[in-house]
Amino acid sequence: MKLSELTRPWSAFSYGFLDESAKREIRRRILKAIAVPGYQVPYASREVPIARGWGTGGLQVTLTLLKPDAVVKVIDQGADDSVNASSIRKFVSRVGGTVETGDTTQATLIQSRHRIPEEKLREDQILVLQVPNPEPLRPVQPDMSVAREMHADADYGQLWLILYEQLVRSGRIMQGASYPSMVNGRHVMTPSPIPRWDVPKLNRADHLTILSAGREKRIYAVPPYTSVEPLVFDDVPYRVEDHQDKACWRSGVRGFFMNELPQEDGSSLYELSDSHFGIKHIRKAAGEAVSIGETWYRNGRMAR
Amino acid sequence: MAYVATRGGERAIEQAERLYRADIGAIGRERVEAVRDGLPYLVDRLMGEASLYEPDLAALALAQSGGDLYEALLLLRAYRTTQPRLAVAEPVRQADLFTVRRISAAFKDIPGGQILGPTLDYSHRLLQVGVLNGEEYRPAPVEPAAEPAPATQPSLAEWQKAQDLIPDHPAESVEPDEIPDITREPLLFPVSRAHKLQSLARADTGGTLALGYATMRGYGAVHPTVNELRLAEAPVRMRHPCGTVFSAGRVRVSQTEVVSKSGGSLQLGFSATFGWNEVKTIAAATLDLASGQPDPHPASNEEFILYHTEAVESSGFCVHFKLPHYVTFQSHLDALRRVKADRQQAAAIAAEEESRHETNEAVP
Repeated sequence: MKLSELTRPWSAFSYGFLDESAKREIRRRILKAIAVPGYQVPYASREVPIARGWGTGGLQVTLTLLKPDAVVKVIDQGADDSVNASSIRKFVSRVGGTVETGDTTQATLIQSRHRIPEEKLREDQILVLQVPNPEPLRPVQPDMSVAREMHADADYGQLWLILYEQLVRSGRIMQGASYPSMVNGRHVMTPSPIPRWDVPKLNRADHLTILSAGREKRIYAVPPYTSVEPLVFDDVPYRVEDHQDKACWRSGVRGFFMNELPQEDGSSLYELSDSHFGIKHIRKAAGEAVSIGETWYRNGRMAR
Repeated sequence: MAYVATRGGERAIEQAERLYRADIGAIGRERVEAVRDGLPYLVDRLMGEASLYEPDLAALALAQSGGDLYEALLLLRAYRTTQPRLAVAEPVRQADLFTVRRISAAFKDIPGGQILGPTLDYSHRLLQVGVLNGEEYRPAPVEPAAEPAPATQPSLAEWQKAQDLIPDHPAESVEPDEIPDITREPLLFPVSRAHKLQSLARADTGGTLALGYATMRGYGAVHPTVNELRLAEAPVRMRHPCGTVFSAGRVRVSQTEVVSKSGGSLQLGFSATFGWNEVKTIAAATLDLASGQPDPHPASNEEFILYHTEAVESSGFCVHFKLPHYVTFQSHLDALRRVKADRQQAAAIAAEEESRHETNEAVP
């Protein structure tokens, strides 16, 4: 018997880059996060070969969930070709040997920064959202240890107070992205800086969403079929961005979240923020056989 | 279909990286050795912040990043985190350190003596510009003392404890595998002593100095005196599975104790790190002392200090603002426009009412 027969062949790094002890820890944290929806589970958050703040939390979860038959989509601000999304996708396929895709309906694992795709996700898909700041209480309590106690007490009054102050000062709720939302009627979470347009997609969804903040070392989750309710007042309904009437100048598609492109003449053009969704529409219009999945929004309204 | 040809991003990032690397040029063993041998204090600083004692790797990281310290640090940390933890070394006590420099500001002389060792403290900071004109700068040779200083030195704090000047905190005995390890666990608050000292050991030198200096200048209640500062080589002793303890080499370490008067006794602040980095350990020991006080100033609050001196996290987050944020921005723009529209509408209604009012007044 030789030593080489007993050991695995040497390789520069493990499958999926992270070593097994790091992966085991993250799997355990993910399970806890799923068991207590919306609760922020601390984790070690190892360094990875991209800079903190550039998707290291999402990346660690993606690397942990990776398997050779995974089909991975990575998006940043809705776009697959954004430089950082390209960089992450390249790294994931380099260390995981996975299939890359831009098509939401084909992906088994979607890592995203600041958007949820427009096509509905299924039970067999996992969405991993990159989170810069996991703490919805940060604006009222920068001290994390105190904020943790407030979560334990479900002491969220100050979050409503912020919204109320906005109403008094501006006549409107001014919260843009990262709209604080109650998960499973117990923990308030920040859904990451996704637009308000995307928050209702998390409510009672078919898919699992894992949110991971690498720098802040917290994982939390929205399991399938779990309620996610944006904080609102009974008499002031939740409002998504006014994009229902905007049309994409490239594809002509209407009724989805758009990027605004300022023009020299002072006007604006709009294009679909979900870039691959736009590509599919253009291809379909050009006569290619493209199947477009069911969407969360229909005619610019959330379909329920 | 220009829109479909969307993989341009990948080519752009690859070429951008090539551009950066082209400026640095080819890296060979020779350059790495030149960095390691010529810039030992830079290598030391980096090894401390990386929590990885390997001068060759640190020099390689510096060469590879062209001297960008935060990039070099991330390279080392990302490498380190994939390495298995094979064993835990035996604890090192002060009296075990092969001490090359040891000073105390608290007493004129101390048991074991003040040992200046290598330092630029009293040098005149003059640039040797002649070197640029081709003259070689050859430092004058060291004249050995008639009697060599002893390799190891007793601990001053032990003497103070014996005098009942400093309260003694007996060391807790912990199984090696149970020692908290900040590289494998999240930092939680209130922080454990082990995590606090480990975090300070790997904290950003510049950040530690900034916060430490703020505390020394007056944003905090402590007035530190350097009780003992040491530059040393620490023996790394391992326990063989059959029980014998053997030496696996030495690592350069620096450590500082500062004292401050508190009530009826003296209180110690402590910091130690890999490599010889005096400014960091003095600042960190001051922060340790200040953050341990009841109700510390916000600038020396434990959570504030430890989160904000973590160099990989702070530098990463700072540069991440270069990433596109247009979705978030769009979301905020929407809210702003809505308020603007509300105000215009309200102004229009008010103007209309006023003109109606005026018309009514005009017609009696």
